[in-house]
Amino acid sequence: MPQLQRNYSDVKVGDALGPEEMLLSKDQVRAYARTTGMWVPRFTDDEGARKEGLPGMITPGNMSLALLSKLVTDWIGASDAKLIRVGTTYRQPVLPDHTIVLQGFVTHTNDAERTAEMDIWIENEDAERLVIGTATVQFAES
Amino acid sequence: MVDYDPNLIGRVFEVTDPVPVTAEMVAEFCQATGESGPLYVDQEAAKRGPYGTVVAPPSFAVTFRNGRQFFEHIPRFGRQGFDAGKDVEFVAPIRPGDTITLSSHVKEIYEKTGRSGSMVFVVVRSTLKNQNDETVAHVDHRFMNRP
Amino acid sequence: MTTVLDLHSHSEASEDSRAPLEAYLNWLRLRRTERPVDGIVLTEHRQFNKDADYRALEDKFGTLVLKASEVETDYGHMLVFGVTDEMTRRFDFADVHLPAQEVIDEIARMGGVVIPCHPGRPNVGLFEHYSKKSPLQNIAAVEVYNGGSRKGEDERSQQLAERFGYREIGGSDSHLVSLIGLCATRFEGDVRNIEDLVAALKGDSYQAVDFRPRRRPVQRAVAVEVK
Repeated sequence: MPQLQRNYSDVKVGDALGPEEMLLSKDQVRAYARTTGMWVPRFTDDEGARKEGLPGMITPGNMSLALLSKLVTDWIGASDAKLIRVGTTYRQPVLPDHTIVLQGFVTHTNDAERTAEMDIWIENEDAERLVIGTATVQFAES
Repeated sequence: MVDYDPNLIGRVFEVTDPVPVTAEMVAEFCQATGESGPLYVDQEAAKRGPYGTVVAPPSFAVTFRNGRQFFEHIPRFGRQGFDAGKDVEFVAPIRPGDTITLSSHVKEIYEKTGRSGSMVFVVVRSTLKNQNDETVAHVDHRFMNRP
Repeated sequence: MTTVLDLHSHSEASEDSRAPLEAYLNWLRLRRTERPVDGIVLTEHRQFNKDADYRALEDKFGTLVLKASEVETDYGHMLVFGVTDEMTRRFDFADVHLPAQEVIDEIARMGGVVIPCHPGRPNVGLFEHYSKKSPLQNIAAVEVYNGGSRKGEDERSQQLAERFGYREIGGSDSHLVSLIGLCATRFEGDVRNIEDLVAALKGDSYQAVDFRPRRRPVQRAVAVEVK
């Protein structure tokens, strides 16, 4: 499927990113932990995570950041723009084997800098926001 | 109020040995994050893109740390901490074939209370550079400790 | 005539918020139909900026912007409305262990009003402290709708309010632009400034309102195949 292309002039405050529902499997979380050198119990093993007082193995914060960044870069698609900043706050553990929803909104734009700011977050099945953040996309000069 | 040596703020950690970035690392990262954007996974498509080659997704930048030394240098306040969040500025793409070094310092320490009780936050700023001494990213890591 | 105000919000001045004030006001204009809010109160964490002047933005967006503070006490977090120099000299707002009863009584004596926020939340909510310590005296109201609440927390807050006869307010507790105005408080009459707000909160003609959308059930998604 061809990637979407948008110009800065197409971007409006209120434009939505997602919502994208996904199920983060334990295998996928372990794959992330392995490839990024984070092979520690809290990210790979339920029993090991419980010994640390966690409900079971959890998703690394870096992985949540990666998923939210991908939400933004997917929104950018083939546009002449790039993700220049992302910020995240981890409020609750993101537990694998649960459906999560990634979404966001464009919240403001800066004509002088040709940037779009957006809120981005991850929700659980109870609509609780597990990870919240913001991102900045810079559009090239037209 | 939390007690700490004010000289901790701003002190630079040892700069790490360069970490080589391979095409396999980028591919595995994309696989693990479900990334399928052509710039990151399709060499032919990426050649026609703005960078002329496959690049790592932006969030690849936060996977670098000062090896095992990183966590040893971060001040601790009580029990084992958690990653509380990050602020990342993506300055330039990271490419397979790059080597990345980190320089980090403690930027800020502050205290607050929340659902899990009293918390002390330590903010560490890392600057990532490639083999050409070009900055590729700034990462502010926020670590939460429970005193 | 009524005035609807989001009594609990954080701008970029709070270390964990990423929301510029102007973006908040623009968002409220965009979402006016589903969040009919006439104004907001910035309740920054552990600080009060007495010099901040938002009149230009108020005029631009036709929305009231008031200032207050969220402080941390030995009975949880509390919102302080009507902050004066005398209050900030009396109490270090950056202290995360302020003595709650003293804060409530002294702030009242100095002309302000203190309202516990998210009382149903673990550790930083009043409810949990009431299970271990004597109830506080002279509480005017508590926040029963908080936009950042997790499952069950608002219900616990409402139980507390009913049990102790506390009046009820609502606030979004927003740290992101798009979450402003999700919960608010509706006042009978006109609230045009902080003095009006403090007087109104000391009265009894207001109620918490909830503009959060009802959620559709989330279908179980399909996992990404990992090789």
